[in-house]
Amino acid sequence: MSQSDTAEIVARCHVLYEDLNFTAARKWKDAEPGRKVIGYMPVYVPREIIHAVGMLPLGILGGGDQLEVIHGDAYYQSYICRIPRSTIELGVSGRLDFVDGMLFPSICDVIRNLSGMWKMMFPGVYSKYFDVPQTYEDDVGGTFYENELTELLHDLEELAGRKVSEDDLRRSIEVYNRNRQVVRQLYALRAQKPWQVPAAEVYLVLRAGLVLPVEEHTDLVEQYLAAAESEDRPLRDNCRVILTGMFCEQPPLNLIKSLELSGCYVVDDDLMLVTRWLTDDVPTAGDPLHNLSQAFLHHSESTAAKYEPNPEEKGQYLVRAVRRTGAEGVIFASPSFCDPALLDRPMLQNVLKEAGIPFIAFKYAENSGQMQPIREQAGTFADSIKLWSAA
Amino acid sequence: MTLSAGIDVGTGAVKAAIFKVEDGREEWLARSTLRIRQRDPMQLAEEAFNETLEKASLRIDDLDYIATTGEGEAIPFHTGHFYSMTSHARGAIYLNENATAVLDCGALHGRAIVTDKRGKVLGYKMTSQCASGSGQFLENIARYLGIAQDEIGKLSVQADEPETVSSICAVLAETDVINMVSRGITAPNILKGIHLSMASRLARLLKSIGVTDNLVMVTGGLALDKGLIAALGEELAKMKGVEAEVTSHPDSIYAGAIGAALWGAFRYEILVASGQLLKAS
Repeated sequence: MSQSDTAEIVARCHVLYEDLNFTAARKWKDAEPGRKVIGYMPVYVPREIIHAVGMLPLGILGGGDQLEVIHGDAYYQSYICRIPRSTIELGVSGRLDFVDGMLFPSICDVIRNLSGMWKMMFPGVYSKYFDVPQTYEDDVGGTFYENELTELLHDLEELAGRKVSEDDLRRSIEVYNRNRQVVRQLYALRAQKPWQVPAAEVYLVLRAGLVLPVEEHTDLVEQYLAAAESEDRPLRDNCRVILTGMFCEQPPLNLIKSLELSGCYVVDDDLMLVTRWLTDDVPTAGDPLHNLSQAFLHHSESTAAKYEPNPEEKGQYLVRAVRRTGAEGVIFASPSFCDPALLDRPMLQNVLKEAGIPFIAFKYAENSGQMQPIREQAGTFADSIKLWSAA
Repeated sequence: MTLSAGIDVGTGAVKAAIFKVEDGREEWLARSTLRIRQRDPMQLAEEAFNETLEKASLRIDDLDYIATTGEGEAIPFHTGHFYSMTSHARGAIYLNENATAVLDCGALHGRAIVTDKRGKVLGYKMTSQCASGSGQFLENIARYLGIAQDEIGKLSVQADEPETVSSICAVLAETDVINMVSRGITAPNILKGIHLSMASRLARLLKSIGVTDNLVMVTGGLALDKGLIAALGEELAKMKGVEAEVTSHPDSIYAGAIGAALWGAFRYEILVASGQLLKAS
């Protein structure tokens, strides 16, 4: 494949990224009568279940930096993060009028409140606060989560007007296993050759997966992988960093580009975490809901978005990620007022300090427009790593 | 032996420098400056770089590291990029090994930096206002007064009764200057007033990052403005607890490019020593 293939793929993803009317999802829905679309907020929802019912899971990641929030500001305090306000704006402006249901995973109180607001604002739309376990013991969190999955499946079956077999679920699990495999390959390639796979491109390619059918997205990632591997891009003397704290409200694309321009190769991140939440293939033999539950409990990503019951283990995932990817530092970048990211940050920073891993931290909003301070922080961080890390 | 280039893309000019570093000896082989004047900075950067290569009788493949600084991170053929503070600190030490503070006065920003003897940045601050502490502002004033830029400093040091410029906003200060002209204030007194106003803000910036008895090297495009250097000395002398000395160098405008080239060479040697050979692309 040639360079234009990469550019073409990324350009297509960019169009999907900028499209706040979700034209691709609308087209999918209109292609056959009776099709339904289920929206979901970050961070984690079992998309396999939505897929098994024959619906399109649609990631809703707020309005980004292109949407002016007018109505949304009336629903939340001004200091709250921006994603709930811009999501309300998407809803009341009719941009989500084709969405048949919304799932609000239990990431924080703000998103919990949004699920209630959605019920009141759009009474005709199926709306669910999707709870996930905080206890990782099979007979406690596991049982709870299986019940939650069963309830979701039951609700969606009712909405679809059809029953789903265990084989349907197994097929969907297989489809998502394949998607997670190619996404893992993409992350592995970037950790190995970050100059070949720029972070902004990885972001756009993954983000496309939140609006496209999963099968189409898997093909797209495979095409991008082939194109990126064959492309000849210059290796720069950049430092290698891990980005963390960006799992819910998304940074503007310019922020990711600015970090790279400042001399940082991003070798790992927690963007688009829903695409990598489960770290291994989910077994297809046996009870599919039980398997999904077990995967969540025992084979899911460690992150600030997930409760860690063992104090000894707190933050060690970051240290391991640094070792695994050969990163030289960590950038904590979180949305303003992001409880899960910002409350964990001091604990994670202490772990890095003890491990002798350099880090910096800043906050953003999805519509942050001024990149100079971020470029300054990231640029001087990169300089200090490159020039003084051995001193 | 390491051959490295530094390209500093500023707001007003592009500067390029090539160095040879061997056994700790730094030899400056060639330099080039091009004013931007509404031209494409990336194209100018390439022109300045090619001109420097030609002067040094080198080809791009001869270079071990091409470092960019300032706004030069998008230059496609660079090996690595260093932030302006990092480059200016190193460039200042090259120009005067006794410098422990740097004041980078460019067309758009003023930056105060405290550095150690190796050129490691220990702290820095930038002007928070937009253009009022900058070369662009002075250029505008020179245009209103109908004088050439290189006359600014010479006229400023001739002032006998500097007129105070009250505003820190470039737009309002320009209104001040128009009023002064209509009141018949002489160009030297207007220019000195502006220099003192800029110097007062820059001196506060230096003090805020802990400058006390440091040797302050002024770098960037305004470093050769004698009027500003004199005004800085006066303003620093007024500050309690500050006994800093201000100096500049005829090559101060190249400080960013020099620093980038020298850090590039330093970095190249680290990469070679660690087995990560990275040839300039």
